[in-house]
Amino acid sequence: MPTLENPYLLKAGRVEKVIKECDGVYTFHVRTQEPAYPGQYNMLYAFGVGEAPITIASMEEGYIVHTVRAVGDVTRHIDQLREGDYLYWRGPYGNRWEIERAYNKTLLIISGGLGLAATRWVFEEALNKPIKRLVHLYGSKDYDSLLYRYLYENWSSKVEFYITLGKPDPRWKGRVGLITEILKDLELDKDTVVFACGPDPMVKACVKILEEKGLLLENLYASLERHMKCSVGTCGHCMIGPYFVCKDGPIFRYDLIREYFERKEV
Amino acid sequence: MEGKGKGRSYLLSLEGIRELFEALKDGYIVLAPKLRDGLIALSEVQSLEELPLGYRNIEAPGFCVIEKVEGYFTYTHPYNSFKSFLHPTELPLIRVRKEREDLNFQTLVPEEKAMCLFDIRACDLSALKVLDTVFLYKNPHPDPYYASLREGLFVLAVNCSYATSTCFCTTMETGPEVKEGYDLLITELSEGFLTEVGSEKGKRIIEKVKDKREAEGKHFEEKRKILEKTELTMKRAFQTEGLTKRLYERMDAKYWEHIEKRCVACTSCTQACPTCFCFDIIERNNLELEESLRVRVWDSCFSPSFATVHRFNLRQSVHSRYRQWLMHKFAYWVGQFDCFGCVGCGRCITWCPVGIDIREEVRRIAYA
Ligand SMILES: Cc1cc2nc3c(=O)[nH]c(=O)nc-3n(C[C@H](O)[C@H](O)[C@H](O)COP(=O)(O)OP(=O)(O)OC[C@H]3O[C@@H](n4cnc5c(N)ncnc54)[C@H](O)[C@@H]3O)c2cc1C
Ligand code: SF4
Ligand code: SF4
Ligand code: FES
Repeated sequence: MPTLENPYLLKAGRVEKVIKECDGVYTFHVRTQEPAYPGQYNMLYAFGVGEAPITIASMEEGYIVHTVRAVGDVTRHIDQLREGDYLYWRGPYGNRWEIERAYNKTLLIISGGLGLAATRWVFEEALNKPIKRLVHLYGSKDYDSLLYRYLYENWSSKVEFYITLGKPDPRWKGRVGLITEILKDLELDKDTVVFACGPDPMVKACVKILEEKGLLLENLYASLERHMKCSVGTCGHCMIGPYFVCKDGPIFRYDLIREYFERKEV
Repeated sequence: MEGKGKGRSYLLSLEGIRELFEALKDGYIVLAPKLRDGLIALSEVQSLEELPLGYRNIEAPGFCVIEKVEGYFTYTHPYNSFKSFLHPTELPLIRVRKEREDLNFQTLVPEEKAMCLFDIRACDLSALKVLDTVFLYKNPHPDPYYASLREGLFVLAVNCSYATSTCFCTTMETGPEVKEGYDLLITELSEGFLTEVGSEKGKRIIEKVKDKREAEGKHFEEKRKILEKTELTMKRAFQTEGLTKRLYERMDAKYWEHIEKRCVACTSCTQACPTCFCFDIIERNNLELEESLRVRVWDSCFSPSFATVHRFNLRQSVHSRYRQWLMHKFAYWVGQFDCFGCVGCGRCITWCPVGIDIREEVRRIAYA
């Protein structure tokens, strides 16, 4: 019988580079030839501990990039990996950001916290695509949680890239306040395409403002985070209404999931 | 006599049924209902005598007893289902070994031992089809573990001549008559056992049985009457046409919250249910930390960790978990797998410690 491919088998890749982003957050460049698309994720494995879904933050010739925050059992182990170690994973899984929807339009990317890992790749890709105007809002809890500081200069030189911190900091000269405050002040075309990834409450608050601005919610895409185990649509954990976040998502057209996403405890 | 054009049909005596059992035991691990701890449990059996022939299960919400009656296949289905065998409570998926600094992964596809479901009823046969859909046919990553246990399964179905008070297969349109998906189908008649052939596999087995004669028209007539009688004992519990839509419209109904007062989130219903498939994957390590098994274990949408993200359970209230379960069965499932996730076997009703009756809940939520 075993002609079927085993969806739980893991692959291995050498960690080529480790970047410490901030306390408890590391970025790993891992050797692989496996193709993937912006928006997809892998299930990273820690021996004897388990797996966790982690976005593919970027992909370049011959390696994938993962940014991992040590929050629990699996991620704490993964964050201990160093150059030369092996990372084990299965994937890529899930759908992708449909960047072509934004061609010849304004593309607004909204990233909250670690959500920047989920939008980084599509944002980098958008820099070279026929996008009319590219705006990226990134909200970080505080100065110490900022990710990818080494990329900001390049990004800001090319497009509108705004960062806002949840808390003031003597080391920070930029904006302070909630991401929603910048969003309110932003002039946007009615047919702007929006890609959002961040905590559920942030996404909900942004949607309200976008609606007030008269944007069409069918042009809004959000990447959701739910408890995942199998990642292949068989374990039931990641369900939101009739959808499986692991295989129907993680990226959803907002108007299609709205009623489940905004309703309590679905 | 031709039954439904699939092959010849026979009338077997009890001796013929015994021969049939032995023929199947020759090539298969035979799983059949059996009296165990005062309950009828699907178990591996060695002889026909182990079946609870002549016993009857009487069930009601939160209640089950067994009594002795006249006849042979006089009971309904066992309290556990084939699910325990095709989607076992614990199934090792992968063995991971540490070899110096490398990890070695070994797929633990279960050994191929063909199983025979000796005596499966219409509702459970429908549930088998539902699980096949979930694990294999409507899955972009068909599950090799389920597939290897499922492969070669011999299905001997039995038509019900009795329904207990928790049965509602007529509502879900899954029974009491077995219509498809069997290798052999038995109906107990007054003068013997009508045996219909549903596949080549079934034909090969029945050929080994000597104690048989060709079935006649009157036997099919009796079968029809028996099934009609069984059907009449089950009132339609609710309307299924348009049910999904009604449920979607009532997701915010106040009534859901009443369930909080009764449901204790024990997960019994999900374990008893033959179609509930949700699982967790856990790690089982050896003491030296050189080897780790990745094991699939049953999980339940009623458990507090099920939908936990960042130390926060998205479904805090028990009623939201009940809503998840009922909406999944009768609404979400339809979109996901093109069928209901409920076949009307009634197990969740019998085995709910507080007697919550899913028929009652559907009626109140969708139709009150
Ligand atoms: C599609 C997707 C992409 C993600 N991308 C990233 C990423 O790029 N970088 C990153 O650091 N994190 C990412 N996450 C979040 C990460 O998967 C969770 O934080 C995960 O729980 C970490 O596993 P752990 O074993 O270390 O933590 P756990 O030991 O599981 O503990 C972390 C906390 O999160 C809860 N939790 C358990 N499973 C999940 C889950 N699947 N998702 C969310 N919370 C969970 C636990 O209850 C616990 O409270 C992503 C999640 C999803 C669903
Ligand atoms: S929901 Fe209840 S009645 Fe329906 S199949 Fe599951 S256990 Fe049987
Ligand atoms: S409905 Fe009944 S069986 Fe199911 S979790 Fe609640 S109390 Fe337990
Ligand atoms: S993670 Fe298992 S169904 Fe989505």
